[in-house]
Amino acid sequence: MKGGTIFARGRLLPLFVWIFGLLLVWEGTSWMLLHVVETPLAQSKLPYVHEVLSTLWKYSGTLLKEGAATFGNAGVGFLIGAVAGASLAVLMSLSKTIEQLTFPYAIASQMIPILGLAPIIYGIVRDEQTSRIIISGYITFFPVALNMLRGLRSVDPSALELMHSYAAKPWAVYWKLRFPAALPGLFGGLKIAAPLAVTGAILVELMGAQHGVGVIMLRNLYYGSSHTYMFWSTVIVGALLGIASYWLISLIERLVAPWQPEFRPKGGSC
Amino acid sequence: METNSVRETKFIGPTSKEMAQPALTAAQKNAVAIPKPMEEATRWGSSRMLKRMFSAGVMLPVLAGVLFLALWEFQIFHKIFDLKKYQLPLPTAIATTMRDNFSMLLSYTGYTLTEAVLGMLVGSAIGFLIALAATAWPRWGSGSLTLVAALNAVPIVALAPIMNLWFGDGIGSRIAIVTATTMAAMAINAYKGMAAIDPLALDLMHSYAAGKPAVFRYLRIRNSLPYVFTALKINATASMIGAIVGEFFFSSKGLGYLLSNSIKVAKMPLGWSCIVLAAIAGVLFYLVVERLEKVFIKWHPSQR
Repeated sequence: MKGGTIFARGRLLPLFVWIFGLLLVWEGTSWMLLHVVETPLAQSKLPYVHEVLSTLWKYSGTLLKEGAATFGNAGVGFLIGAVAGASLAVLMSLSKTIEQLTFPYAIASQMIPILGLAPIIYGIVRDEQTSRIIISGYITFFPVALNMLRGLRSVDPSALELMHSYAAKPWAVYWKLRFPAALPGLFGGLKIAAPLAVTGAILVELMGAQHGVGVIMLRNLYYGSSHTYMFWSTVIVGALLGIASYWLISLIERLVAPWQPEFRPKGGSC
Repeated sequence: METNSVRETKFIGPTSKEMAQPALTAAQKNAVAIPKPMEEATRWGSSRMLKRMFSAGVMLPVLAGVLFLALWEFQIFHKIFDLKKYQLPLPTAIATTMRDNFSMLLSYTGYTLTEAVLGMLVGSAIGFLIALAATAWPRWGSGSLTLVAALNAVPIVALAPIMNLWFGDGIGSRIAIVTATTMAAMAINAYKGMAAIDPLALDLMHSYAAGKPAVFRYLRIRNSLPYVFTALKINATASMIGAIVGEFFFSSKGLGYLLSNSIKVAKMPLGWSCIVLAAIAGVLFYLVVERLEKVFIKWHPSQR
């Protein structure tokens, strides 16, 4: 128990100092731009934090509702993409044929700029809900599949031999050896994909949708400098959604795969 | 030497819990030997193994690709998903459009690729430095890592107008966007590589009374290399995305600009040719990074 609190304090305090320092620098720079340097459009470039925060508070109801819409859609796509990616990785590790068939395309399709595809997908589907889910899922798919495959492959050969000498069934090898070994890779992929899924969802909203953070963001961007604070609020909400998704994955990782060196009290680095 | 120590741990007790641990350290070590199939794939490509050109590893994906294109060309997809030809143009139409606008498309691709490469170099360098700092001073550094991850979570689409305000609507704003998007992947991956070192190796270094710089020089940086290259590969793709999405909004040049414009005026074949070229540019970029990885990992002792 005691160790837990020390751990929490040791981790969270620096983070808060960082955030506080950053906000201070931000506020100072904003003041500098407005009063000392007198750049044109100073408040659009870097608005006062307190103004943005008060706008954020004032419209928190709307922002929360739209943010939830974005987050929900991104989440559904993310889950579908993650499950599909993990299944493909397992299939590829099971069967050489499937791997030979799909791996070049998995690599190649990872290099198609998927967010570039977004307008095309939107143009085809013409439905914000579906295209958001498709894009979020597609973004999630490849990091998860490739990272998980690497994990499944990276089992120590001698551990495999040991399992073999115990006459372990294939499913036992998977369950006890390969899956635990693949978990760090899987979560690495998920952590990359989670904020991207949110980005994808917002991008679709920017292209023309009814609900979501992106819609308000675009609207306020077009209204110009009088709506600067609201625009920045939506940016912050978008960022918070991304952070929330990242933290959620990290939390799950800590619960599911707690043996990783970086979770040890000394953090694998001392 | 390292493998020995892992084996020793295993003999202590092969219960399922302890099994997991050596398996993991091994996983991290073997991560050095990044995807084997990829290496094989390139080997197949070399003329030295002409015979293997006709092996299953090449023929299967090629056949699948041809089948996919055929289904597309003969409008099977259009029937299944109930699409019209103006929604999903046929491959031949895309090819024709590409040939007709070749020189413009080529110069736009070059422009976008320049943004992506420059942005990625800057972003990856900053990300690596952040990872170094985060490992050297874990107490304060991990906070900065969280902040970088947070920056990564700011949607590119929101970054784009902000960067445009800051850096004007020239090439600078897209480089800034790409920098911001590539930083986090490198920071997180490099940090993971530097942190996830074999505890036994660290103990050994300690028993040799190695200082922090020595641990970095001989252990952490070396261990992080495979992760760094993984991050570079991720970033090669991400930077293309950043550049293209950045061009959606404020640009008069580049593939992203052309793509969003041609979709607006319902020139779907032109939009698709942008995607095809972006994909080709992305693949080339990726292959260059992969080539570099091979060169660097070659002298990497853990590969022998």
